[in-house]
Amino acid sequence: MISPVKIWRRQKEIRKVLGKKGKILTWTKIFTPGSDFKKYAPYPVVLVKLENKEKIYGQLVDCEEKNLKIGQEVISVLRKVRASSEEGVIAYGIKFKPMK
Amino acid sequence: MNYVTGYYTTRFGELWDKSLFDLVEEAMRGVLKQNNLENKQIDAVFFGNMLAGVLENNLHTTSKIAEILKVNIPIFRSESACASGGVAFNLAKAYLEANPNKNVMIVGAEKMTDYSPEETITGLSAAASGEEQEAGLTFSGLYAMIANFYLEKYHYTEKNLAHVSVKNHFHGTLNDKAHFRRTITSDQVLKSPYVAYPLKVLDSSPISDGASAVIMTNNLGVVKKQKYSVSVLASEVATDTISLKERKNIDEILSTKIAGNLAFKKAKINRSEINVAELHDCFSIAELLAMEDLGFWKKGEAGKKIIEQSTMFGNGGDLIVNTSGGLKASGHPVGATGIKQIGEIFLQLTGQAEKRQIKNAKYGLAQNVGGSGGTSVVTILGI
Repeated sequence: MISPVKIWRRQKEIRKVLGKKGKILTWTKIFTPGSDFKKYAPYPVVLVKLENKEKIYGQLVDCEEKNLKIGQEVISVLRKVRASSEEGVIAYGIKFKPMK
Repeated sequence: MNYVTGYYTTRFGELWDKSLFDLVEEAMRGVLKQNNLENKQIDAVFFGNMLAGVLENNLHTTSKIAEILKVNIPIFRSESACASGGVAFNLAKAYLEANPNKNVMIVGAEKMTDYSPEETITGLSAAASGEEQEAGLTFSGLYAMIANFYLEKYHYTEKNLAHVSVKNHFHGTLNDKAHFRRTITSDQVLKSPYVAYPLKVLDSSPISDGASAVIMTNNLGVVKKQKYSVSVLASEVATDTISLKERKNIDEILSTKIAGNLAFKKAKINRSEINVAELHDCFSIAELLAMEDLGFWKKGEAGKKIIEQSTMFGNGGDLIVNTSGGLKASGHPVGATGIKQIGEIFLQLTGQAEKRQIKNAKYGLAQNVGGSGGTSVVTILGI
């Protein structure tokens, strides 16, 4: 379950990993999501190894099919990650877009 | 020594006329009847279940079981995602090791088809880390990431994965309790829609209802009265990070490797002595990894070896895998799976596996995995 407090607590951590470059370690495209993500399907999710070796998950946005490959260089960006909660708080989080 | 003396399972499938506790009751009464035991002869019950808290708003299942059995004995519930059943069995064994001359019942059950697929998938996602859930990763999504990595690393394609489902569906036709009892071709697997690329519907175990129960005892008087018994040679649990990303190797399930090595050491037998195994094929890729991580096949070779179908019933192989149909065809009522696996090995070792009976099986192994590999249980039984 999601709550405004949880969103607030998580968002304090997000700025630390914004604008970071890395490479796709592995990826998938989700066709059958859970309830919260149903309206976005299908959507690609990537596991990225950042330049500092840290590994982060995120959806890949602003991309074409050809960008969905292991080794693709990407950069982390701030995006809305799910529909707003009943309290109206919008959850933002990390997604990735391909580097040109 | 601890012995398994009885096994009963309900049918697995979309059992709309049965509730979670209808299934639990059927499995418990079934196994008690088989062993001619009264409720009051059971000293403790261990219950494996994952989703009753999330889907049914029921987190006091143990007391409900006491109500059904009309007993006041200790009853424990284990939750370790899809390894809940295997972990319940492990805890029951530890209980017997601390308590001589006792009989315990281990029951695993799940009710999954009362809800929309999205609701059940959200519930199953509880097996993943918060970060994984937040990225929109499902359970199938995590195994898809593993599969994608494995296929690329060892230069395989989705075709290599398809053979797992073909074999397990064939086995499902030989098991009256299986969710699916029809054969499929690798072409059908490859043409089925994607769930999470590169995994398709026919690479994936279904959402099923079902319950399975076994009796384990260290009371030799009880063992002597039973028609069938097998020895529990080892039951080992190992854990690992809940997040896939925190693992050193994405193409292995380290918890299975650790639990497997410990189990073989405890059982004092070699891998080549295992005649029959039930492996956790929640997705096709998972059976390939299990074959490698348990040391039956070399790392990276499973994609190639599976094409030979040496682990299929009737092909004359030394090790037959997932005679029940596996999670893929037998069905995957999460909490029941680990118990059904042990039950299938019991049937094989005692000559009760009917149409799918393997000749002269002496040792069998069950591997039960929770989440994307955060928990593994490896059990070895012998006759």
